[in-house]
Amino acid sequence: MSALLAIRDSLMGERGLQRWAFYIPVVFMALFFAAPVALTLVWSVFERTMFWMEPGFTLAAYENFFTSARAENYVYSMIHSAVAVVVSFVIGFPIAVFVRRRVVKAAQHRVILLFILPFMISELVRVFAMRPVLGRNGLLNTGLMELGIISEPITIILFSPIGVVIGDVISFLPFMVFAGFLAMEAVQTYIFEVCDDIGVGRARTFRDIIVPLAAPGIFAGGVFIFVNSLGVALVPTILGGPGAVNAGLIVNQAIVALDFPLAMAISAIMLLTLVVLLYVGHRLFDLTKILQPIS
Amino acid sequence: MAEPFSSTNTEPPAVEVVGLGKNYGPVKALDSVNLSIAQGGYTVLLGPSGGGKTTLLRLLGGFIRPTAGKILLHGRDVSGLPPNQRPTTMVFQSYALFPHMNVEKNVGYGLKIQKKTKTDIAASVERILSLVGLEGYNKRMPHELSGGQQQRVQLARSLVLERDILLLDEPLAALDAKLRKDMCIELKRIQEKIGITFVHVTHNQEEAMTIADRIAIIADGKIVEEGSPREIYERPQRKFTAAFVGENNLIEGKVINVNGDGLTMDAGFAELAAITKKQASVGSEIAISIRSELIRILDGNDGQAEGVQKIPATYLEEVYLGLTTMHLVRLPNGVEVAVRRISDDDADFGGTAGQEIIVGWNREDAGVHTD
Repeated sequence: MSALLAIRDSLMGERGLQRWAFYIPVVFMALFFAAPVALTLVWSVFERTMFWMEPGFTLAAYENFFTSARAENYVYSMIHSAVAVVVSFVIGFPIAVFVRRRVVKAAQHRVILLFILPFMISELVRVFAMRPVLGRNGLLNTGLMELGIISEPITIILFSPIGVVIGDVISFLPFMVFAGFLAMEAVQTYIFEVCDDIGVGRARTFRDIIVPLAAPGIFAGGVFIFVNSLGVALVPTILGGPGAVNAGLIVNQAIVALDFPLAMAISAIMLLTLVVLLYVGHRLFDLTKILQPIS
Repeated sequence: MAEPFSSTNTEPPAVEVVGLGKNYGPVKALDSVNLSIAQGGYTVLLGPSGGGKTTLLRLLGGFIRPTAGKILLHGRDVSGLPPNQRPTTMVFQSYALFPHMNVEKNVGYGLKIQKKTKTDIAASVERILSLVGLEGYNKRMPHELSGGQQQRVQLARSLVLERDILLLDEPLAALDAKLRKDMCIELKRIQEKIGITFVHVTHNQEEAMTIADRIAIIADGKIVEEGSPREIYERPQRKFTAAFVGENNLIEGKVINVNGDGLTMDAGFAELAAITKKQASVGSEIAISIRSELIRILDGNDGQAEGVQKIPATYLEEVYLGLTTMHLVRLPNGVEVAVRRISDDDADFGGTAGQEIIVGWNREDAGVHTD
């Protein structure tokens, strides 16, 4: 009898509840994170039927992917995403450095928070708003022509891979600013004084000291941008033209065509890409450092 | 007292600052300071926190620009030059190493910037590491080193640049007491060996005494006093110095009589005679200082000796400090006075709380401070 009571207490009593509360995140992650990932892998080898799929084992979806133009598009999508990462670094990281170095300490976090503001606008609207800016008769072209800098409108910046890269940078730049800002915590003020004392020039300080020290954070920001550029279908849908697709859009098109195993297979390949990326990053920069307090 | 580094040659001093001032908004961190530091010595800038000593050091190094005045290093005006174009280099208070470089790279980086060849760099690094006692640590990363070792690496990184003046900004502040003492002796040894000018900032007077050839006391943005450690400790001129350095008992009062070799001060409860060459007019406010180890609790016979200043006091308590024991007594004007004795000599010394006693000192041991 007392044994039963003890079991009841352990499940229902105050201590029991506390213990279960601890597992809630575990259950949540299992249900909404691990399970979908596992199912993606499982479904990718299912047999395709007219409107859904049925259990089985076939690599037809993978074969379909690698033998069609999709594989090529996927590679281009990776290249475009990489370009978006580089451009975001070139623009975003100096912003982070500037805020750390030149803004009063008490105001730094507020300035960085300003970069959240764009996220308050629906991404659809934000990306769509690029059209009247980048278009043939858009703000940019009209402006440049008025100034006499160009005589013909530049058409390569919209409905093209370049348009997609521009859209990705505008959408995801804040990630680089945030990650870079956090990463700059690892580069303390004394570093700059030591460099002044030794006589290290600015470019050299940036290359030899700042970038290596901030590398884990820069990499983390880069991964965020890469993954989103690769996977968010919205940007190429609105700004890309024919041929300017990303992995997310390829998946979208597969779903629209009711080819679910193909959609799952492409997702699995994206997953693998990310895992490889994270592994390489971890070997290079020890990503655990991002979460370590700076002593 | 001879000045150990008074220049007998015609070389300009290593450091000469003239009317140097630095304001932060309305705050005067440094106020028209004049200071001259001869070449090749170990000078300590000693003073309380916020007194301006670090500001002065950073001005010498070129990390901040003066609001007023000039800085001459080896006779050359460097006021407008950046840190790397001055003959100075700095050792910082924090363990300011490049965290992603090992010891060898940290030390050699400055030479790499100067475009020295790899062989030259390796040889210099090796030589400097052995000078600071870190042979064989070449491949260690900063986080694998103790605080003391990290400061040695910093020292090596500065020394390898072979500049003529080494600035040290509280380099030992983060170390524990034992290590600090060892490092003091080590720093002094290194300075004597390489013979360049060291300028060291600290608020720790024991550190200053251990290490310095010359001490400059800095407080409230001004140089209060300069001298050898012995002068500063044994014959402090200014009242501030007497209060800041060592353990001096200060008794304040008014001058009531001045004669050829001294004066008499009315402390309110007694008239105290002191020997001094200082000029003080009758009626002016002065202070007499007497170090705690030179003040004594007198017994009947001792009090009869020639030249002893006696005053009545109340015994308060005994504080055992290991090597020494401190006896606290209160003077009739309420001022508490510390009497320090070697503990071993102390078996039957002292008294009981509240006991009326006589304390005294030899008149020539007291200092007179007019400001």
